[in-house]
Amino acid sequence: MRRLFDWLHARSGYRAGLSHLLDEPLPAGTGWLFTLGSVLLFLLAAQLLTGAFLTLYYAPTPDHAWESVRFITREARFGWLVRGIHYFGASFIVVAAVLHLLRVVAFGSFKPPRELTWLTGVALLLLILAFALTGYLLPWDQRAYWATVVTINIASLAPVVGHALATLAGGGREVGALTLTRWYAAHVIFLPALLAALVVVHLFLMRRHGISGPVRPRSGGARPFYPYQAARDVTVVLVVAAALVTLAWRGVPALEAPADPADATYIPRPEWYFLGLFQLLKYLPGRFEVVGAIVIPGLALLALALLPWIDRGSGRDPRSRRRTLTGVGLAVIALVALTAAGWRDRPASAGERWTPRQIAGAVWQARAGCERCHSEAGLADPVGVASLQRSPAWLASHVVDPEVIGPGVRQPPRVNQREVEAIVTYVRRLAAGDPPPPVSESDRAFALLFARYCVGCHRFHGDGGTEGPDLSRVGAKRDAPWLLRWIAEPEDVDPNASMPSFESRLAPEELDLVARYLAARK
Amino acid sequence: MTAGMAHHGGRRRALAAFVGTAVAGLAGALGAVLGAFAAPVRREAGKGWLRAAGLSDLEPGTPFAASVSVAIDDGWRRTRVPQTVFLVWDGAGGIRAMSATCTHLGCRVAWDAATKRLRCPCHGGVYDAEGRVTGGPPPSPLASVEARIVTDAASQDEVLVRL
Repeated sequence: MRRLFDWLHARSGYRAGLSHLLDEPLPAGTGWLFTLGSVLLFLLAAQLLTGAFLTLYYAPTPDHAWESVRFITREARFGWLVRGIHYFGASFIVVAAVLHLLRVVAFGSFKPPRELTWLTGVALLLLILAFALTGYLLPWDQRAYWATVVTINIASLAPVVGHALATLAGGGREVGALTLTRWYAAHVIFLPALLAALVVVHLFLMRRHGISGPVRPRSGGARPFYPYQAARDVTVVLVVAAALVTLAWRGVPALEAPADPADATYIPRPEWYFLGLFQLLKYLPGRFEVVGAIVIPGLALLALALLPWIDRGSGRDPRSRRRTLTGVGLAVIALVALTAAGWRDRPASAGERWTPRQIAGAVWQARAGCERCHSEAGLADPVGVASLQRSPAWLASHVVDPEVIGPGVRQPPRVNQREVEAIVTYVRRLAAGDPPPPVSESDRAFALLFARYCVGCHRFHGDGGTEGPDLSRVGAKRDAPWLLRWIAEPEDVDPNASMPSFESRLAPEELDLVARYLAARK
Repeated sequence: MTAGMAHHGGRRRALAAFVGTAVAGLAGALGAVLGAFAAPVRREAGKGWLRAAGLSDLEPGTPFAASVSVAIDDGWRRTRVPQTVFLVWDGAGGIRAMSATCTHLGCRVAWDAATKRLRCPCHGGVYDAEGRVTGGPPPSPLASVEARIVTDAASQDEVLVRL
């Protein structure tokens, strides 16, 4: 065996290269805090590998992206694990990159002659965020689609170039097929190429100048990277890998319903590391939006990039750099506070609770007799198994008159418009992989009434119209008798009410049920 | 340096072994997972019973062309392809089903009521009502398909086939 390696070395000289990599001399006192670079390299490799293998199954078109991701999660062997590692790996990389950055700032490692290393590092951080952004769109579910619409809108806020930027990034005026292929190309080809180049430059510069090491030089000579620091690096990497697999085991957040560009009532929310920016925008509405979206982040990034020049002087001792460290510390606290506020404030995911429309849809779908054809032995796939390439509008037409799509079907089901909407919502939810949860009799009875009479104007658990108020917690403000009077005859309570009266449309016991159910929602 | 290394020689070797093992373990685990992931999923394509026709559609002894919608699982895509089978009922409880694909070169055969034969339009293959070859180039009888009669909830007799 050794002779084989001797032969290889005689022809390639690989041992010199290996020695250069592994025998890197590290200043005494280089300890655990310096493992973050290796952790980042490991995570990048993990993302690259899992990402590359995911492309074996992923289809980057609006018609099939969602199904291909569902296939990966449910059917491909270990698909849940590969996707889980990739999904949580993204969050881990952001955290590791920020920690690595903070370590560098704390130790003043960016001071001369390492300013260029610092700049490439900042560029790498931005690249990582770009990866996260482009990757978020790829599942093409509601969450991915509408978050991207927000991103493009923010890009368009940039002065002068905003519109051009948004059009270039979006592949057109709307987020659609061209956006998806473009962001997929970025995520899989352009960004990785840029990343590889920048990482090589960053590592080259790092080796050229050597690891900065502890702030105050320690006694003892330099030690080789391998195996001493390598052992520390590997230990931390093992812990991180275990954490990653554990999270992947517990499951990636479920795919929401397939993207529906026509559903403007969906409330988008970004991945957690953008929540801070999202929250900031809430404090700066209207004309000041550009301040929160472009100006503040832009200035912060500029300050970050220019830190080696803002924090002048070649002394690395923290005690002589109090102003810089305080500034950075305050920025970190602000970011953490904004992110925490954004987390608390985040809208209830439409993908969490089953809405009345979905619950009612289950009932109405069963009554509509779809199983005549939609069953294992029938003409078409069972409900819930059928692929969802079709838009909600197509599904609705099909429910109303199946004969148009499937000639030979005898009678269309007897359904009205509200029932059609509910059935379509239910079918899409089912196809997302969520079996219907057990619902109580009162939940079901309420859902049947709400989905027919109220959902057009009122939201409940994230679904519904916006003309009237959200009723998810109306019981905290109104009691049952008030609600009963109001629903029956709003103008008796408030002459200026624009809500229609329901006294003649609902039976007394139905009015009573709705009022009591809503009063209990606190 | 040499003296220090001799002193730490044992520790150095242990750490090196740890690093080597850990890296090999991580690489091996990742490789195994990705390798399994890359292997195509072998699907037992839903070999279920599909409804072909109602018994009332059939005449005893006469092959009836029934169209069945078969689900094809193609990765994340599920498509339905219509296929034709011929059903032959004996008038009592016996039912047989045959593929409509000619065993010569794969064209679809059709029932010729006048001569009581199944004929292939491509190269003149001829089969009888049982699927046996009576003329032309086909090398073997029409493939048979599993079939059975069931009575559904509404007391209708249905013919199911398994493709």
